[in-house]
Amino acid sequence: MKVPIGWLREFVDLPVDSQAIADRLAQIGFPVEDITKRPALSGIVIGRIATLERHPNADRLLVASVDVGDGRRLNIATAARNVAVDQTIAVATIGAQLPSITIERRKMRGFESEGMMISADELALPAEWFEDGILQLNGDAHLGEDVVQWLQLCDDVLDVEITANRPDAMSVFGLARELSAAYDTPLRSPAGMEPVAPGGTDPQGVRVTLKSKDCTRFVAQRFSDVRIGTSPLWMRVRLALAGQRPINNIVDISNYVMLEVGQPLHFYDADKITGRHLIARDAQEREPLTTLDGAHYELKPRDLVIADEAGAQGLAGLKGGQKTEVTESTSAIILEAANFNGARVRRMSAALGLRTEASARHEKGLAPILTDFGATRAATLLAAEGATVHPALIFGASIEPLPPIRFPIGEVKRLLGFELEGEKIDAPLEDLGFGVTSKARDRLDVTPPLWRRDVTCAADIVEEIARMTGYDNVPAELPALAPRDISSAEYFVERTASRALQALGYHEIVSYSLHGARVLEKYATAGLTSLPLAEVRNPLSEDQRYLRRTLEPGFLEHFARFREPMKIFEIGHVFDPSGPVDEHAMAGFAFTAAAIDEPPWSDTHFLRLKGDAEAVIAELAGRRPQAQAMQLNGFHPGKTAALLIDERRVAYIGAIDPRLASAYDIDLEVYAGGIELENLPARVAPRFVAPSRFPTTQRDLAFIVPLEVTAAALETDIATAAGPLCKHVHVFDEYRGLQAGPDRKSLAARLTLGRDDGTMTDSQADEVVERVLSALHQKFGATIRR
Amino acid sequence: MSDLGQRLKQMQARFEDALAAAQDPKSVDAVRVAFLGRNGEVTKVRRAIGSLAANERPSAGRVINEAVARMEASLDATLRKREGKAFEAALEQSIDVTFPAQHPNVGSLHPIRRVMDDIASYFERHGFAIVLGPEAEPDYYNFDALNIPPDHPAREGFDSFYLSDDMLLRPHTSPMQIRTLEAFAPPVAVIVPGKCYRRDAVDARHSFMFHQVEGLLVGEAIHFGHLKGMLIGMCRELFGVDTDVRFRPSYFPFTEPSAEVDARCPVCQGSGGTCRMCGGAGWIELGGSGMVHPNVLRNLKYDPDVYSGWAFGFGLERIALRRYDIDDIRRFFENDPQFLEQLA
Repeated sequence: MKVPIGWLREFVDLPVDSQAIADRLAQIGFPVEDITKRPALSGIVIGRIATLERHPNADRLLVASVDVGDGRRLNIATAARNVAVDQTIAVATIGAQLPSITIERRKMRGFESEGMMISADELALPAEWFEDGILQLNGDAHLGEDVVQWLQLCDDVLDVEITANRPDAMSVFGLARELSAAYDTPLRSPAGMEPVAPGGTDPQGVRVTLKSKDCTRFVAQRFSDVRIGTSPLWMRVRLALAGQRPINNIVDISNYVMLEVGQPLHFYDADKITGRHLIARDAQEREPLTTLDGAHYELKPRDLVIADEAGAQGLAGLKGGQKTEVTESTSAIILEAANFNGARVRRMSAALGLRTEASARHEKGLAPILTDFGATRAATLLAAEGATVHPALIFGASIEPLPPIRFPIGEVKRLLGFELEGEKIDAPLEDLGFGVTSKARDRLDVTPPLWRRDVTCAADIVEEIARMTGYDNVPAELPALAPRDISSAEYFVERTASRALQALGYHEIVSYSLHGARVLEKYATAGLTSLPLAEVRNPLSEDQRYLRRTLEPGFLEHFARFREPMKIFEIGHVFDPSGPVDEHAMAGFAFTAAAIDEPPWSDTHFLRLKGDAEAVIAELAGRRPQAQAMQLNGFHPGKTAALLIDERRVAYIGAIDPRLASAYDIDLEVYAGGIELENLPARVAPRFVAPSRFPTTQRDLAFIVPLEVTAAALETDIATAAGPLCKHVHVFDEYRGLQAGPDRKSLAARLTLGRDDGTMTDSQADEVVERVLSALHQKFGATIRR
Repeated sequence: MSDLGQRLKQMQARFEDALAAAQDPKSVDAVRVAFLGRNGEVTKVRRAIGSLAANERPSAGRVINEAVARMEASLDATLRKREGKAFEAALEQSIDVTFPAQHPNVGSLHPIRRVMDDIASYFERHGFAIVLGPEAEPDYYNFDALNIPPDHPAREGFDSFYLSDDMLLRPHTSPMQIRTLEAFAPPVAVIVPGKCYRRDAVDARHSFMFHQVEGLLVGEAIHFGHLKGMLIGMCRELFGVDTDVRFRPSYFPFTEPSAEVDARCPVCQGSGGTCRMCGGAGWIELGGSGMVHPNVLRNLKYDPDVYSGWAFGFGLERIALRRYDIDDIRRFFENDPQFLEQLA
């Protein structure tokens, strides 16, 4: 909210330095996002055009004699068109400082000009919001008075952030109240602002019926003899500095009061209200309304309207209607200062896609007392504009004091950690308008002021005390903790996986969990169907529509973008679209590499990938998994494996389907794996087996076996057949081709043999080999390749 | 005897010649084997003792032993000399130690993880558990249980991605406050790092996906001073031991009193001006914090008059941007290899 410091100064004495004010506001919970610095201006006074003549030597120039008070006259030439005798204007005298120039005595076509008449631009005000040419003061000022001081033109403007719980501070006066408490200086109220006296009557006024509980209070007031015109300059300047464009005196007063007091107002043309009757009610289905800005709405019962007997005349708390609009010809107006249910206004605002300064205030839940403050303040300003003021009429709930809050003084120590007593507690609360009474030695009854409906419990009061005392003054200390034993295992699994993958040469990436249809298109281009995905209902853009189901699309995007061979990993969640979403933690890793020229039954990159996967899994689980061929969407049908521990899949690895890599325009081989972190068994400590003191002997054997016999199966069978004398079996080569015969292949295995009780002799080793050969011959018809 | 003496003499002469010819330690060893080895020349000479008269044998043996001792001494001395020469040659080598290293192929960790892990380590040291939670959460955990009922104005600040009527991608890590307190009665001390999502337009400072770290401490006699103590310690660990930390009143529905936490800008030290790091503010906004709202404790059936606690939620990108002097939040998700390797 833009807050001109000059406006604040009307209600509270403040330091000169804007930054100091901004810092103090931040300390009490109102951060200042920006300070708009005003330029240095001086030497500008109020004058009256006493005479006006044509310049003797120039058709386009006029020469004025301007009365600047105390009998002083200044001769000033001007090219402006909107000047006339008797106008009150601002004049920059010789030596005056304006944003871009300093006024000097100078000759204009032989005429010595003793100053300059001022337009809005020269006061660093938005020129398009003011009259073309010379600024008109409309006679409301003393000749010779310093314009800069009078209009506080050099006071900076603060952009203050107001938290959602403080609608009471969404106004100049509301912030002035906070500053008065913070600086411990007196607060001056806006002229005329007070509660409305109940019991007012106005035979020609409107009757108001509140048919919805969402309109709790409605102050209506009639003003007659209204003359629509330009507002006084001081008001227009303040509005402009606050970022509000001046329109006419009636609109300006409603905006001015809203900015100053915080209560949005609406003015109706009294003569256009059908039946002199206003009704706050739910809209009818498809009830039409054209708002002030000319927009047409078809309303729904969800919308709260202010209607007359002819139909809806405005959206409650949002915007007025065109039919009862105040126009140039209006002579009597009805003021509406109403209180609406904030949630209702918010729902309407969201549903209609309409947000206004008024709704921004209403939707946070305004205090009902503000209706009174808004009405009485507006009445004062309208009276100054010459309107005849009629009694204000109150409809709806009367103003009730807020219930007192029991406040044990010990709460300060309990929640802040340090003691405050007596005056240190009472004074800041009272400065903020709270009523404080002491009921017992250790307890206060604290009654929040009518406008502080956000304060409802002891913790709220502690915050008031804390922010006035200063959060900086709360002593910091470390807690002495003996908390419950809560497992950090999930986190440490991710941490360990990240370190293991880093050690293996992988670089960590973080990609977006949301992606667009591009992924589906790539799978389709590759001739693959993609699995159903969890969907976001309200993405901001189409590339945020889907939740990733696996990490591979992120890897493929990365490889497509950064084209050299590389190893990357990502740890994050993936999502299945079941009920409505099922979420899993994955550690994915992938690399690109140039293809290796090798026979079709072998793939060195795959074995590297498998080695990396086993290393990470061993680090996480303390065990090595078993591999099993599997089919996985997006992966090569013959080069993909599930890795199992205790029959449970803990990871998958494989070559990316070359068609998919090609769809991403990646011309390297792509390999990827994913460890399903939630499926990993808890890490077990491996058991140590003391190595034999006796030497071992090795035998390399090449078996001719049927194609379907896997290396893992062969190793298992060899180990089983060889018995305890076989310390280790390791398949190290595979060959297919003529020498192995059709439907058969050769697998070469190295057996490490040894005894724990002595050196193994050659004949003992031969015996073991014979056992193995006969067992494998029986099982697969395996023969030895010579 | 003189025959034996003759043979001994001749052998010694051959020995001297062979030793003189042995120019490196290996050849010296070969000489030792040839003369003193099991089948060496000395053994052959010894065998000749058997042909001597019995009374001559002891002195012959003594002469041979003396000769062997001299040979061994001579071998040792020569070996030392030859070895010394070899070492001299090795030691004469000299390399340019400033030559570029051959780097092992190690990977890297994402800067967000580094920051996350550093924060986690700090809190772990102080007795906090580190827990993780789901990213898709029902309304209840995101809002209702956190004292943000439907139509609450604060919901506006959480523009969220919805997956169904009441399921959304969490806009903050605070749902884990509720899940933790549902699972464990106070005293609890946890921090929760993780991804969050908001419907923010992406620019240099905003991302629709980002990371937060949540902190929660609930027990008896836990107060705002403890929050300050822990967070000041964290900031000093992240930004340096002299870092000033500022707490400003703010508003969050799930904390009361609430505070924004700022750390003094590590680059300009608060002098502001045109500092690129803090944009001239002199302070870096870390995020929100405060004492757990009594309604949140009440929602979880804990008596707010007995238990108190604090919570905070900080943006990790915001911290990482400052820590590594990164200009644009989007870099975290572009994963340019040059970016990752620089910050490895």
